[in-house]
Amino acid sequence: MKRSILGGIAFNLLAWTVVFIVAFPLVWMVITSVKPQFELFRIPPTFWPEQITFEHYTRLLFETPFLTYMRNSLVLSSATTVLVVGVATLGAHSLVRFRYRGREVLAQLVLFTYLLPSVVLLLPLYLMMVWLGVANSLFSLVIAYTSFALPYALWLLRSFMQGIPEDLESAALVDGATRMEAFFDVILPQALPGIISTCLFTFILSWNEYLYALVLVNTDAARPLTTGVMSMLVSAFNIEWSLLMAASVMMSIPLIIIFAFLQKFLTRGFGAGGVKG
Amino acid sequence: MSILTKGDLTRRALGGLAAAAAVAAPGVASAQARTTLRWWSPQTAPAQREAYNFQIRTFEEANPGVRVVFEATSDEGYPAQMAAAFASGQVPSVVTHLPSFAVSNYWQAGLLEPFNDVIDMIGPQNFYDGANRVYEITPGQYAGTGIGNSAANAMWLRRDLMERAGISATPRTWDQLRDACRRMQGGGVFGVPLPYGRNSMTSLVFICFVHGAGGQIFTPDLQVAVNSDAFRNSLEFYKSMREFAPPGATSYSWGESLTAFVSGATATGIYTGRVLANVAAQNPRIAPFITAHEYPTVSASVPHWTFNDFPSVMIPKVAPNMPMAKRFAAHLFRADGYIRQLHAAPGHVLPVLKTISAMPEYQANPIIQANRAAVDLMSTMAASGHNLGWESPRHRPNTKAGQVIASHAISEAVQRFVINNEPIAQVVSTTAQRLETLMRA
Amino acid sequence: MAAQHGTAAGRGNPLDRKDALLGVMLIAPTVLIFCAVIVYPLVSALYLSLFRIYTPTLQGNFVGFANYAELAGSPEFWRSLLNTAVWTVLTLTLQIVFGIAAALMLNQAMLFRSLARSLILFPYFVSTVVAVLVWRWLFNDLYGILNHAAMWAGILDMPLDWLGSMPNSMISIVLVGAWKYFPFVVIAVLARLQTIPEPLYEAARIDGAGAWSRFTDVTLPQLREVLVVVVLLRAIWDFKEFDLIYLLTGGGPVIATQTLPLMVYKEAFGLNEMGRASAVAVVMMLVMLVFMLLYLRVNRAQDQR
Repeated sequence: MKRSILGGIAFNLLAWTVVFIVAFPLVWMVITSVKPQFELFRIPPTFWPEQITFEHYTRLLFETPFLTYMRNSLVLSSATTVLVVGVATLGAHSLVRFRYRGREVLAQLVLFTYLLPSVVLLLPLYLMMVWLGVANSLFSLVIAYTSFALPYALWLLRSFMQGIPEDLESAALVDGATRMEAFFDVILPQALPGIISTCLFTFILSWNEYLYALVLVNTDAARPLTTGVMSMLVSAFNIEWSLLMAASVMMSIPLIIIFAFLQKFLTRGFGAGGVKG
Repeated sequence: MSILTKGDLTRRALGGLAAAAAVAAPGVASAQARTTLRWWSPQTAPAQREAYNFQIRTFEEANPGVRVVFEATSDEGYPAQMAAAFASGQVPSVVTHLPSFAVSNYWQAGLLEPFNDVIDMIGPQNFYDGANRVYEITPGQYAGTGIGNSAANAMWLRRDLMERAGISATPRTWDQLRDACRRMQGGGVFGVPLPYGRNSMTSLVFICFVHGAGGQIFTPDLQVAVNSDAFRNSLEFYKSMREFAPPGATSYSWGESLTAFVSGATATGIYTGRVLANVAAQNPRIAPFITAHEYPTVSASVPHWTFNDFPSVMIPKVAPNMPMAKRFAAHLFRADGYIRQLHAAPGHVLPVLKTISAMPEYQANPIIQANRAAVDLMSTMAASGHNLGWESPRHRPNTKAGQVIASHAISEAVQRFVINNEPIAQVVSTTAQRLETLMRA
Repeated sequence: MAAQHGTAAGRGNPLDRKDALLGVMLIAPTVLIFCAVIVYPLVSALYLSLFRIYTPTLQGNFVGFANYAELAGSPEFWRSLLNTAVWTVLTLTLQIVFGIAAALMLNQAMLFRSLARSLILFPYFVSTVVAVLVWRWLFNDLYGILNHAAMWAGILDMPLDWLGSMPNSMISIVLVGAWKYFPFVVIAVLARLQTIPEPLYEAARIDGAGAWSRFTDVTLPQLREVLVVVVLLRAIWDFKEFDLIYLLTGGGPVIATQTLPLMVYKEAFGLNEMGRASAVAVVMMLVMLVFMLLYLRVNRAQDQR
């Protein structure tokens, strides 16, 4: 799509202004995290720091269990994502491409998990974990997160797969492939952007979940970042702002990196002879 | 029949689960190794954690074969976490720093172990007089004890601003406070950072004002007492102070109120000794000019009333290893560790043992030293302080205080009158009704 | 769909049944997890709503439908329900509109596009609790940069009370909610936009269609399936949103921004009334259930048209 140079510049300016406005809190977080404490609450507020210090980062990394929490979050979110997306991809394929009784009802029933607020599900879920003997462990969080990430992932993948034309699979079957071979060779590559974005959602959901982690896990060895950072730095009477901003920046960075890396998969065009009009 | 071709996806998934389980396993397995005590607290700032680690180390050295694990909870999360713990029977051995009305609530439900043994181990004569009265809910039995005191409604003044406005005397009455604020307000500085939000700070601070008017929320028998002139007067006064608070005070909670004073935006403050540490770190320029006092009351004949939430120590009734748990609870008060704990939040958490206050090691902290007068005053204020769970020495303990605060009945009363301008009779009667329903439940 | 396998068994009923079996087995793990992890808590909530329960001990006595009767007569409940509806509709609309607009924008060629995409998604990446704390700081009347920038630019001459008075509070939470969750829409829509074949646009251009009608006639229909799901999921999540509103306004002033999830939390852990909290939660579930069923039915009807 050709555009005049002027139009191009205007568009870029507009687009980047929008991006800046949306990302402004991130900018603010980063700037605040390198300000010394006595610059925090200046009135009127200063934007640029007069002095730059990395003391909050070093304090966080070396004097607190922050790295333990981060390791826990990474393990937890990865495990949940792999489990959820794996199960949901198979399930979505089933819902879209197969016929059996109760198919629609099943899909809707799965959404039932969302209809109750988490506050009410918390205590019964915790009691179940105790009964299973996995209370206070990362494993219990994987189970809990799977329970609410799975319907999400299932419905998202279902809509992506619905957009894949049937002819592709039929062509593969005519060529002698089994249903599952057709699935792996034809459907999966087509659905890749959908799968990637579902992975992203699930990962973010697990990464940022707070309430379940709060109640289900209480030991530092298994505590993820969200509750770890909050209980350490935020209490009723006081908030350690500088450390909190440093922690927030460090919590967001892995996600931004993962997304930057995954972008090419999200936007990759697909294969020869793929989509027909 | 298993699912057919387990492709890469499923294999990776199983691998992931195994990895997660491997990380999780140690936590489950090691619990049976030797005696393990679990210690919960919502006060977990890095400085405080260091102090806790010291106390744990010294205890483990003195008691081989015992392991103490510290687990952080939070002011927001502890109701849910304690509920989960009690419901499942997986309770911690010792819980510290919960407000006294949480303790009294749990005691009433029979969930706590009497604390008398531990107090005996610490030495009852070492406490400030009457420091544990608030925990004597069933006569003769203590539900817990305080691990610290806070004087939460200390009045903080900026001497430099007062001088500039020509005020030399510390305000003692409400009228004097109002006058001082009126004269100091201006040039971007406000008079007070009073909260008008729908939150616990507003409720708790307003209760201080009700007592400052000579009134109370409940009678000593725990009948609702808001239908009184004192309550109405305090509402009117609180409303009249609105103009001296910053515009955003309608959503102020502890953090905003504290920062308003520390950053120099208000001439007076209402807070604990946390002000000292924050000023030192965030705005040292004003440090030489701040002083702490008891908060004014309506007239010189009404005594001061200090709000102390009495951060507590308690032991759940079904805690495992009970004798060891009690020993650990007593250990928390041993001078070396206790002083470290107090120094992690100097001036904010004050000692409950008068023996500690007198120790030179306690006083050898730069912030405490630089503000001896303020710290000593707050210690005395807090030691004779009260809260909604125990409004005066004549009051019966109110085990529903936590629920009263959480229902926002009082903060909503403030908001209805001050922000919505509802007629005072209506506000008072609605509030009285709500409180009565709560107490009856 | 003519499925053919290499055996001589041929097509027809036996093969359809075999396929169906495979289909069921593929969905089995999902159903298993669902049953194992969700059914007990769900049933538990329904059960507890018929009791008066003291949260720390989960003990109490049976009261039948008394909790529900109390709710029906409680003005606080109805106001919370109204607030929840207003909040959900407003923030959802903004999320969809901003989301589609941003996705369209990020689908164009632009300088450092990858970086722009990562940054736009930042609100969704950051933890809600942290984001809200930062927003409270930005909204602050004394040292918040929003007020100062507005005063410096001459738009305001006194700081605005963003969070403590109406209608500012409702507007603020709607805007922060839109900011926080619109990237979800962006991701889903962007992924779908990538798969819309260029030839479709060419054909439309050749037919003389302008940018807007290309959008409505080519883009929107292609986005339909994804949007249907996105709206459904976001509506449910927004309806249940707790952290954002609780930390931003706490439900105030008075109960002007108290939504049902806040009420559930207050009942369960503030007032220690698990039974009443469960009753509110069940009502929430019924409301969402009705919405969900109606929504899906309308969509199925549209599908068949």
